[in-house]
Amino acid sequence: MSLPRLQPQDMCFPNLAGAGDWGIKGYQKRGGYEGLKALLQTAPKDHIEKLKQSSLRGRGGAGFPTGMKWSFMPQPAPDKPLTKPSYLVCNADEGEPGTCKDRDILRFDPHTLVEGMIVGCYCLNAKVGYIYVRGEYYDESSRLNQAIQEAYKAGFLGKNILGTGVDVDVHVHLGAGAYICGEETALLESLEGKKGQPRLKPPFPAGFGLYGCPTTINNVETIAQVPPILKNPLEWFTRWGRPGNSGTKIFSISGSVKNPINVEAPMSIPLRELIEEYAGGVTGGWSNLQAIIPGGSSTPMLNAEQSARVLMDFDALKAEGTGLGTAAIVVMNKQIDLLRVMTRISHFYHHESCGQCTPCREGVGWVHRLMERLSAGEGTPAELDQLYALTKKIEGRTICAFADGAMWPVQGTLKHFRNLLESRLNKGEAA
Amino acid sequence: MSNPTNPTQQPAAKANTAAPAPASPTPAQAQPPLPPAPEGMLNVFVDGILLHVKKGSTVMQACTLAAKEIPHFCYHDRLSIAGNCRMCLVEIEGMPKPIASCHWPAAEGMKIRTDSKLTAEARKGTMELLLINHPLDCPICDQGGECALQDQAVAYGSDRSHFHEFKRAVDDKDIGHKIKTVMTRCIHCTRCVRFATELAGVEEFGATGRGENMQIGTYVEQALQSELAGNMIDLCPVGALTSAPYAFTARPWELKRTSSVDLLDAVGTPVTVDTRAGQVMRVLPEECDEINEEWLTDAARFSYDALSTNRLTTPLIGGKPATWPQAFEAIKKALKSSTPATTAGLMGNLQSAEDAYAFKAFLTQTLGTQNLDSRPAGTLPNSAFLTTPLKSFDTAEAVLLIGCNPRLEAPLLNIRLRRAALKRRMPVYAIGTQMNLAYPHTHLGETPEALTQHATTFKAHAALQILISQSVLQRPDASAILAAAAKLGTVNILADTTGRTTTHSIGALPQGKGNGTSGILAAWQKGQLKTLFIHGEDTASAMDVKSGKGTLIYLGTHNTPLAKAADVVLPTAAWAEKSGLYMNGEGRLLGADQATLPPLNAKEDWKIYRALSAELGNPLPFNTLSQLRTLIAQANPAFAPANLGQITAAQRPEFRIPNSEFRLSTKPFTAPVEKYYLRNEYLKQSQTMHAIQAESGSANLGPQPGAPMPLPTKPAKPKGRGAAHA
Repeated sequence: MSLPRLQPQDMCFPNLAGAGDWGIKGYQKRGGYEGLKALLQTAPKDHIEKLKQSSLRGRGGAGFPTGMKWSFMPQPAPDKPLTKPSYLVCNADEGEPGTCKDRDILRFDPHTLVEGMIVGCYCLNAKVGYIYVRGEYYDESSRLNQAIQEAYKAGFLGKNILGTGVDVDVHVHLGAGAYICGEETALLESLEGKKGQPRLKPPFPAGFGLYGCPTTINNVETIAQVPPILKNPLEWFTRWGRPGNSGTKIFSISGSVKNPINVEAPMSIPLRELIEEYAGGVTGGWSNLQAIIPGGSSTPMLNAEQSARVLMDFDALKAEGTGLGTAAIVVMNKQIDLLRVMTRISHFYHHESCGQCTPCREGVGWVHRLMERLSAGEGTPAELDQLYALTKKIEGRTICAFADGAMWPVQGTLKHFRNLLESRLNKGEAA
Repeated sequence: MSNPTNPTQQPAAKANTAAPAPASPTPAQAQPPLPPAPEGMLNVFVDGILLHVKKGSTVMQACTLAAKEIPHFCYHDRLSIAGNCRMCLVEIEGMPKPIASCHWPAAEGMKIRTDSKLTAEARKGTMELLLINHPLDCPICDQGGECALQDQAVAYGSDRSHFHEFKRAVDDKDIGHKIKTVMTRCIHCTRCVRFATELAGVEEFGATGRGENMQIGTYVEQALQSELAGNMIDLCPVGALTSAPYAFTARPWELKRTSSVDLLDAVGTPVTVDTRAGQVMRVLPEECDEINEEWLTDAARFSYDALSTNRLTTPLIGGKPATWPQAFEAIKKALKSSTPATTAGLMGNLQSAEDAYAFKAFLTQTLGTQNLDSRPAGTLPNSAFLTTPLKSFDTAEAVLLIGCNPRLEAPLLNIRLRRAALKRRMPVYAIGTQMNLAYPHTHLGETPEALTQHATTFKAHAALQILISQSVLQRPDASAILAAAAKLGTVNILADTTGRTTTHSIGALPQGKGNGTSGILAAWQKGQLKTLFIHGEDTASAMDVKSGKGTLIYLGTHNTPLAKAADVVLPTAAWAEKSGLYMNGEGRLLGADQATLPPLNAKEDWKIYRALSAELGNPLPFNTLSQLRTLIAQANPAFAPANLGQITAAQRPEFRIPNSEFRLSTKPFTAPVEKYYLRNEYLKQSQTMHAIQAESGSANLGPQPGAPMPLPTKPAKPKGRGAAHA
């Protein structure tokens, strides 16, 4: 294959498979917390500059450049101290169907996140960091809590870390299992004890976030990747992937593959290579491939032809009309009833809409019912056009991106597999 | 549509086709830079028209300035912005998606399009989605004809739906006698939730469930406890929350609308009285920034059934129906045996300026007596006025409540205090019974002595506003309390009703050495009075007059215990049945129009005095309402027509602090209002009020046991924030 496999020293998460010790001893053996003191003694703006150059992009789905996001946070000037506290919030509310990368980080390498929180809080002048873990990850949050206790004991958390004068406290908060609380402002609402519903933007969290204070919200993987990037030379990270999409990334491969796996691989790896190299290939061979969801259920599907040529990075997938999302790859071979899968995904969004905005509250259920009906062969081909028009009335009309994510898979289905629906409908009419 | 293009590209492509070529932002065709807008303003284009809007304005405000209507449901001027209905979406050139104009800040050079295809499609799409689960039961909906959803569906919606699934149905909630719910109609705009949380301060409404299953309700089904809950009916843009007493009684287009004034508290809320065929069907607030903003208390909104309950419709002599000539004859006979010294008059608390002037003129000119009053027994010779306008409480530095519960005495004033206490952290101190004001306040004691004990606390505030309940003036140590309060700050007396302040301003008070209320009642009980006129309620009670021997002549609207105790009863017009001038608690002149006629044989009050004076051979010098009003304006220029809506401070009766040698007593203050919905005789006539009072728990309305909420600690703030307001 064209790309070499990553060696442990190239990885941000060497223990992702859970082979080694997840505790602090194992982490330190793998090189963790080494050089943390030096990081806490370098000026935050140098770190942020390096992050910008590394072109690390948010791993939670949107792919927003992390360095730029962090530069939005207020930095104290000698003549202008900060009037409000800042917060770093880690989004561990991993709810996207198909995604399970953060879970493995939390249970097999929680210290990568803890170290990331320490460095992140330091860079953003935050004395307190919150980790919002989805309620279903109870066991994982217990490990995370243990890791945090270990870090406190070892002096990596708390007051005056390693004698550098940096204070960081980290708290873990368990959510109650709503998908929408993975949206950053809904997460903040939930963290504040309110109903988890996204806030209006602007104001953005960097100016008015948690408790009205400047806040940055990042995905687990993003935060955990920060310390290795800052500790190593820039090339260590940027040698992987195409410009603007550099680094390594955890891909969660599931569905019709021989060996479903969470794997850290270089960005811009060809999708076919990724599946064949790491996941043992498509069940029944590549020619048996029907479609692939490249980045979690919100991203539109790729058909077999696109899957064969696409590179796994933000820009390449965007060019194909879909997105990298959380890099949760769901492979579907020809034995899968694709329409049933998409109907189930619609059901998921129907169930998880928070109910705040009209188009999403009313529309997502309607789309689900239409999918239910049309995929069962009840209806007319004209209703396919209506369904598409309906998704356009919902997409881009709401406060948060939930409705977009709920509509894109339906649009992807209509785009690539309209023939499937039409033949189903014709059969239904004949019966 | 059958061949969809890339979903992320489509809106942008639409935006480009909608924009006319010259406006496209390509560098080659870029227009010369705009001249800068004036200081603090922004250049904004709305449909190609250049406007200057204030910095910090929203896109919707800019569109409103350009006289472009933006349809909306969840947005409301006086509530926080929720942005959830998505009806106000407009296109902004250069943005890929339409944005919600209610919260999006206007920016320099922004090009807003309210007439573009994208905007129209966004509105149409949202409207279709709003309607799919709406029952469309307009023919049986009380909101029909005044429904925002109905109007906007006609203006911006489609004439057909593509929806062929089953509609959602939602269980109705029983939230008491004020509001009828049909929750299937709800469009989840959350205006009611925001009102309850932000303005009423009673967090009893919220949304449970999510997505399609989201429901508005009280979670545990219970009657609404807020004294302002009725405002949610006005706020609800659809027929989900409608007035329970008004349910199925009238259609808005059948109603005749008349402007009037709510007399039931000192705020004097301007209201609209809606009548059909001479019957009052409902009462709604009018909008007035200085007085009520746009709110109305539940007591005023739901008590109109009193106007058609237990009314006096014919004169009574000894409890038996009589004709007007017979009644006048009986009065003449009684007056024959009395002299001016043995004649007296008392006026109630819901009377207009015309009533008070005619009453005073009749007693002083026709009968020649000096014994008249319109204050409760024992009240000091002070006028009961707020010396600070209601709106100024928005910017007050600190407030001290003495024996006063503004939440029950003047709920609309309490809204202002609450806002100031929460938004500006204005300190509110209270001396009196423990109470739940719905905002943090410091309770300093139950007796007047707290005034001196905490003097240093009060002295820290340069401009302390002191609110004293009118009921405090009935205490024996009232003079001492007033004198002590006057040393601390500005003294405001909160009267019980607007009628009370009106009759005070007219001067329906003892003349010369005449007796006041307590003197008159004492003389009556001792049998020294031969004739006593009582006009209206709540100044004297049936108990007060039980033991008298003279002739009791009662003028009033309802067959109250007082009316039953009277020898001669003359039926008068209630507030909605006469044109009247009123002066509210802050001294603002308000005008009410006649909405309907007095029932059967009842007559307007001033006409009764005019006819009776002619019968007695000494006719009063007015024949028409305009003649009467001219006389009133001559006697008190504050009542001149030019002053309508104005506070005429110079003309208000002087506020005199008695020169007192009394000591502050150790007697604790009593609660000024025990039962909010039944606090005066008029409200007691309303069946609705009895039902609402019965479902009101004391937990939220009455005195609350336990420690009051602590005052939030004040953050270090730059000096001059309060000063800027003052």
